[in-house]
Amino acid sequence: MSEAILEVRNYSGAFRSATGDLTPILEDVSYRLKTGAMTAVVGETGSGKSLTALSVLGLQPATFVRTSGEILFKGRNLVTLEEREIRAVRGAQISMVFQDARAAMNPVFTVGSQLADVYRLHHGSSKREAMAKAIDALRRVYIPEPERRARQYPHEFSGGMAQRAMIALAALICQPQLLILDEPTTGLDVTIQAEIMELIVDLTKNSGLTTCLITHDLGVVAETCDEVVVMNSGRVLETASAEAIFTAPQNPYTRKLLAASQLVQSEAEAA
Amino acid sequence: MTTVDYPILQARDLRKIFPVSGGRKLVAVDGVSFDLVPGKTLALVGESGSGKSTVARCLVRLVEPTSGKVWLDGMSIIELDPVALSKTYRRVQMVFQDPNASLNPRMTVREVVHEPLWLHLRMPKDQREARARRLMELVGLTYAHLDRYPHELSGGQRQRVGIARAIAVEPDIVILDEPTASLDVSVRGQILELLLDLQKKLNLAYLFISHDLQVVQHVAHRVAVMYLGGIVEVGPTAAVFGHPEHPYTRALLSAAPVAKWGAKRQRLRLAGEISSPIDPPDACRLVGRCPLEQPSCAKARPPLTEIGDEHSVACPVVTAGDRAVPSAA
Repeated sequence: MSEAILEVRNYSGAFRSATGDLTPILEDVSYRLKTGAMTAVVGETGSGKSLTALSVLGLQPATFVRTSGEILFKGRNLVTLEEREIRAVRGAQISMVFQDARAAMNPVFTVGSQLADVYRLHHGSSKREAMAKAIDALRRVYIPEPERRARQYPHEFSGGMAQRAMIALAALICQPQLLILDEPTTGLDVTIQAEIMELIVDLTKNSGLTTCLITHDLGVVAETCDEVVVMNSGRVLETASAEAIFTAPQNPYTRKLLAASQLVQSEAEAA
Repeated sequence: MTTVDYPILQARDLRKIFPVSGGRKLVAVDGVSFDLVPGKTLALVGESGSGKSTVARCLVRLVEPTSGKVWLDGMSIIELDPVALSKTYRRVQMVFQDPNASLNPRMTVREVVHEPLWLHLRMPKDQREARARRLMELVGLTYAHLDRYPHELSGGQRQRVGIARAIAVEPDIVILDEPTASLDVSVRGQILELLLDLQKKLNLAYLFISHDLQVVQHVAHRVAVMYLGGIVEVGPTAAVFGHPEHPYTRALLSAAPVAKWGAKRQRLRLAGEISSPIDPPDACRLVGRCPLEQPSCAKARPPLTEIGDEHSVACPVVTAGDRAVPSAA
């Protein structure tokens, strides 16, 4: 069995209401992210897939209470770290890309300066050198005219371009070992989605990254991922290689999700 | 099936131009024509900015078209005064993408469904209630749901309420603007089945607007592919999906991921990003992105040309038959 860079072990938690009642939301979640592989965490709304990922970075909502379990990153338990310690991990070793890239950026700073600031924070360099790195990162995610683009503000970027810039920030500026992408292509057009996914695969293969893709879209998973974790209602239902999930799904929910995603294909097969 | 095959609604050469700063013009819809037939679904497919939602809004004059004609059963909608126009709304109803935003949070499901019955039909209360109950059955909800508020319902249930409201006044045409885009995949299938079922029972004509190609292939009889305000390819669903001809259609179809192991697709790539709809030149809108581009493409906007059984393409390179890139299959 290959090495896992991250291991979520028996992680459970609940939301605490204003009256102090606990509503269980994650139950005994366990999965491993193999080093160098691309793993998909798949599930529908409310499955707990994003909440688990946010917990990895210590970004879970304040009302969320962990009741048991641990999250091991290279053998180190992240859930017991002090805020100061987790900040050293966040970004530098594990970074995250969110669904809406334009909302994730600060609207009043240029895209280039945001990338450069993060570069200086993590690596410490002159402003000039940081900006050069920012432009280089934008070029590596195939943004045309990166020098000009770096001087623009987020609102001047299309959704697809903004997502490229976020991936440049999370993967190339931060240079993490683990990159978590939460629905990175939801809301983007299919032709743009295909290009963004190609970019993510490219970075994973060529930069020695471990990637975790959180998504509801099994189509994207079939083409890009090595491993799949299926979640529903706060539980992990099935964990297997992507090939096994698509060719021999074991869990009834996985089969249902697959059939629902294939609307047309399943019909064509029946005919 | 005994469907009448003449169109209930005809749109001809619809055009919508929005003025933008500096006296420039944003051409959102540029010469779009189509028919809607009872019992049949026409899908408008396209990416963001293609103008598909503007077309839908032009049909009912939620957006006033700049030019063009819309005939509902032979009656021109464009010339109607506001009072007469509101009467046509009984016959053309809409279902919106986000049921959270399109249902009033302060109204119970009963009030939501009763309202159009009163507005359009002046139906007395007991009849409204009887109709409301029948509608709940039709859309797969129960009488108990009538007393609920939208926030008490799941996303799928809310969309069922949106559909119930649309079909309450027995319209001929339902415009579905991305009706499943905000739903989970397992719920998506149920809503599509409901829509197909209602179409059969009520002989509805659907204009189905979507960017989800899988959904479109599942529900549509005909598909019109839009790019930057114009229809670039239109035809029977099987023809458009089976033998896409326009370079944009091929790029779009080949970009859609398939939830199947080992499904290989041959990508047809377009260069760059969608160009600006502001002050577009009189040329094919794909100029600069298209792998089949010829010098003549920049000289005039190609018209839709029939290439097969009711299958038309707006690409002179394809219709001339000398394609530079061989077809994928």
